Amino acid sequence: MAEQKPSSLVQGTLHMLILKTLALEPMHGYGIGLRLEQISKGVFRVNAGSLFPALRRLERDGLIAGTWQATENNRQGKYYALTAEGRATLKRETRDWEQQSVAIARILGASLGEL
Amino acid sequence: MPLLSRLMGGIAGLLRRTKQEQELDLELQQFLETSIEDKVRVGMSRKAATRAARMELGSASAVKDGVRDAGWETVLETTWQDVRYAARALRRSPGFTAVAVLSLALGIGANTAIFSLINTLMLRPLPVSHPEQLVQLLSRYPGEPRLSSFSWRHYLHFRDRNTSFSDLLATSRARFRVTGDGVPRETIDGEYVAGNFFTSLGVRPAFGRVIDARDDQVGSATAASAVVSWSYWTNRLQADPAVVGKTIVVNDAPATIVGVAPRAFFGLEVGLTSSVWLPAAMEPLVQRPSRLMDGSLGVGMLGRLRPGVTIDRALAEMKVLDRFRLEDFAKSRSVAFARDFTIELEPAAAGFATLRDRFATALLVLMTLVGLLLLIACTNIAGLLLARAAARQHEMALRVSLGAGRARLVRQALIESLLLSAMGGVLGLALASVGARALVRVILSGRDFARLQQPIDIQVQPDLQVLFFTATIAVLTAVLFGAAPAWHALTTAPASSLRAHGAAGDTRSRRLFGKGLVVGQIAWSIVLLSAAGLFVQHLSNLRNQELGFQRRSLLLVTLDATGSGYRGDQLFVPYQQLLGRLAQIPAVRAVTISGVTPISGAGASRFISVAGFPESPDARRFVPLNWVGPRYFETFGTPLLAGRDFAFTDRGGPPVAIVNQAMARYYFGGKDPIGGRFQFVGASGSGVTAAPPAQAYTIVGVVADAKYLDLRETPPRTIYLNAFQEPRLFVNELAFKTTGPPAAVTDAVRRTVREELKTVSVARVTTMDDLVDGWVVSERVIAALSTFFGGLGTTLAALGLYGLLAFTVTRRTNEIGTRMALGASRADISRLVLRGALGLVCAGLVIGVPLGLVSRRAAGRVVPGLSVDGAWPLVFATAAMVAVAMVAAYVPTRRAASVDPIDALRQ
Repeated sequence: MAEQKPSSLVQGTLHMLILKTLALEPMHGYGIGLRLEQISKGVFRVNAGSLFPALRRLERDGLIAGTWQATENNRQGKYYALTAEGRATLKRETRDWEQQSVAIARILGASLGEL
Repeated sequence: MPLLSRLMGGIAGLLRRTKQEQELDLELQQFLETSIEDKVRVGMSRKAATRAARMELGSASAVKDGVRDAGWETVLETTWQDVRYAARALRRSPGFTAVAVLSLALGIGANTAIFSLINTLMLRPLPVSHPEQLVQLLSRYPGEPRLSSFSWRHYLHFRDRNTSFSDLLATSRARFRVTGDGVPRETIDGEYVAGNFFTSLGVRPAFGRVIDARDDQVGSATAASAVVSWSYWTNRLQADPAVVGKTIVVNDAPATIVGVAPRAFFGLEVGLTSSVWLPAAMEPLVQRPSRLMDGSLGVGMLGRLRPGVTIDRALAEMKVLDRFRLEDFAKSRSVAFARDFTIELEPAAAGFATLRDRFATALLVLMTLVGLLLLIACTNIAGLLLARAAARQHEMALRVSLGAGRARLVRQALIESLLLSAMGGVLGLALASVGARALVRVILSGRDFARLQQPIDIQVQPDLQVLFFTATIAVLTAVLFGAAPAWHALTTAPASSLRAHGAAGDTRSRRLFGKGLVVGQIAWSIVLLSAAGLFVQHLSNLRNQELGFQRRSLLLVTLDATGSGYRGDQLFVPYQQLLGRLAQIPAVRAVTISGVTPISGAGASRFISVAGFPESPDARRFVPLNWVGPRYFETFGTPLLAGRDFAFTDRGGPPVAIVNQAMARYYFGGKDPIGGRFQFVGASGSGVTAAPPAQAYTIVGVVADAKYLDLRETPPRTIYLNAFQEPRLFVNELAFKTTGPPAAVTDAVRRTVREELKTVSVARVTTMDDLVDGWVVSERVIAALSTFFGGLGTTLAALGLYGLLAFTVTRRTNEIGTRMALGASRADISRLVLRGALGLVCAGLVIGVPLGLVSRRAAGRVVPGLSVDGAWPLVFATAAMVAVAMVAAYVPTRRAASVDPIDALRQ
């Protein structure tokens, strides 16, 4: 399994990925990590030391909100959900990201003649 | 991200800290359990799953730390920790803290005091709309201070013809005797203003209305209007809300109060606040004869530049328009006189420039000196902090090895510096407000101001600009002196310092740096000391220069005969008798009377024509004159070089005059001036008193040259006339040559005057010494303060030297012991330490003396009349520095010499 450290993620990417994950459904911390790993087919593996500070920042910035609920196996867990502001931010960042990645792909894929 | 929500979140985070910690614990617990269950579900044993999950999670406390560090409030929290830590550390060494805070307070306080004066006098903009568009019109005559005064007639010419200004306003200061219903009878200061005064400044009334164009017509219904100032309204009119419409009687003319000026508006000149403003059109009602009607009313002018018009373009236009004024001068005075006048424009955002002009140089010099002082204080504290850092090496090393980050240590060192400078800054602000007020008092005691009718009142309350300035220099100094210890913290090598604390880590480069700091302090101190020497010398040159008369033991008493009932032509006999009585007072050696007291700043002058000396009207210059009684030259100690003195018996005889050497030389060359004749021509020049009729005067005596108008002039050609030969006696300045201190005869003089002339009062008593001192106030201030700052800087440098030497001796105790054991005598050891001290002083001299030379040349360019060639200020500075350094070296040297070799080697 390729271990991808979040520090080598593009700055802010982890935030965007968490927002995307929560856009599908509210989830607790462990679930978010698991979902990221699944969706990325194991490319991103986020450890707790990175995940929880990121969640705290997003919560403080008002992009996600946490509530305590019963989990599927009947424990109390903190479930995070997107706020309206978080949804807007995700939309904006997704658009920015797509533009950038298209641009980057174009540069990387350019042949000598085009440059 | 909205800053506010982030801020709120952070603050809430600080408050909810405990609850959040618990939640985080729960959350992590849940994470771990879910992870374990997941692993069990895919087939791991519970034990193995728990182990794996724990490893994946990592240290729970590390995760928590990460979460905690996620917000800015952590920075705040650790900073607060550092502040408390620094405060504890400073409390532990009260001696160091006291010295550092005190020297900072003096440095910052001195800077703040001088800056607050500069701010008040030169920087603070007027409370009007767009003050930056305002320019002042100034008139310059060579060799004289710039004048802000023009004639009303010329104002009208400029106002109606210029295209550079959207508005050109005029104002004329005056004192008014006011009275009226509910108005206290008193004399107040105010201004006559042109109709556009308030509107062009954009000053809106607090209530009522301001003076405007409709009040500007002489004889118009509303010409008799008045706007009163906020402070006059509150302090004198009981803040009467129904004040508008009331009548105030100015001199004898009633005027209607139409409005109250806003609270912030005090007039256009710092220090000269106005209580009332009247339309210029009211002047003919108040003042008889009117000076507005003949156009001679003196006014100051401010123009508001039109958008896009530069000051240079406006000046070019004003120079053309100014020809009108110069032609006027050529007609009334002389072509030569008019030719020398020029007009100038100057930005006037801070108002009229009179006070600015007078003090700009002194304040600039003082600001430089206090800047230097602060630099020395900074260097000194940097040295102290460095020594402290060396002593705390062990503590730092321990903290590094316990996991403190380098950044944290640097931050801590800087916070300690900031804390010191903050304390110094607060204390300095307190010192500054006391100092600035004292400084204002001293400055205003000057001759220039004693002559002004209106008392000057400069308020130097620290405002936002001053606070900002102080905060800025406090932070800057902290960074300046904190850089060294911060660097020290950054380069601390934990391993070596832990191994053997004390000498370890004290590298050669660091020692050199410490020495460099002391050398720097010595060099700056020499610059300060030599500046002090320079200004003290300058002051003593000014005070002790040849005046042409004796300044010592000369009492000056002004009589006032206006309400005495005597007419001018009836005073001859009573005054002659009075002089006779006054001469009998025991301690009085000689007494006389004159119309003008020399160097009092006031005088009279006229054109003359000398028989046998053809002179074209254009080449004429005003000749100063004085009306004096017999024994004038004896009393003042001015040598009579030829001929005779005046006598009371000259009265009724042919008119006689005495001239000074400069006059004799110019008009008579090598010939004997005695018996020469001249007469006055044309109108009277600037000055006082009546115009003598055009009769011929015969010169009967020649006296030595003496200063006439002020302390700095070269004695002009001067004519003395016999006061007792004039048609009326109008002279009132008594002068007494005394045998003892002049003030001692004051009572006897007052008594005699009262007995002899019951209705003549004594208006003013002073001495020639005070008069001379009054001319050199800013020089006195600069000399006194530069001496004080020089002493302070030298003390600090000595302290720095002492600290370094003491530290070095302690460090080298072992070495000294070894030397002694190998046969070095105590004298050898003393020499060793002294040589070190001398080396530092010499290095300081090598840097300081050239700096002193350069800075003194710079000072010579800024301060007029400063002689920069003398060697003794630098010699004095060097000698003083060496002497102080030797005193500072004394204790460490003795300690080194008294080292017991056995004890030292055992260590």
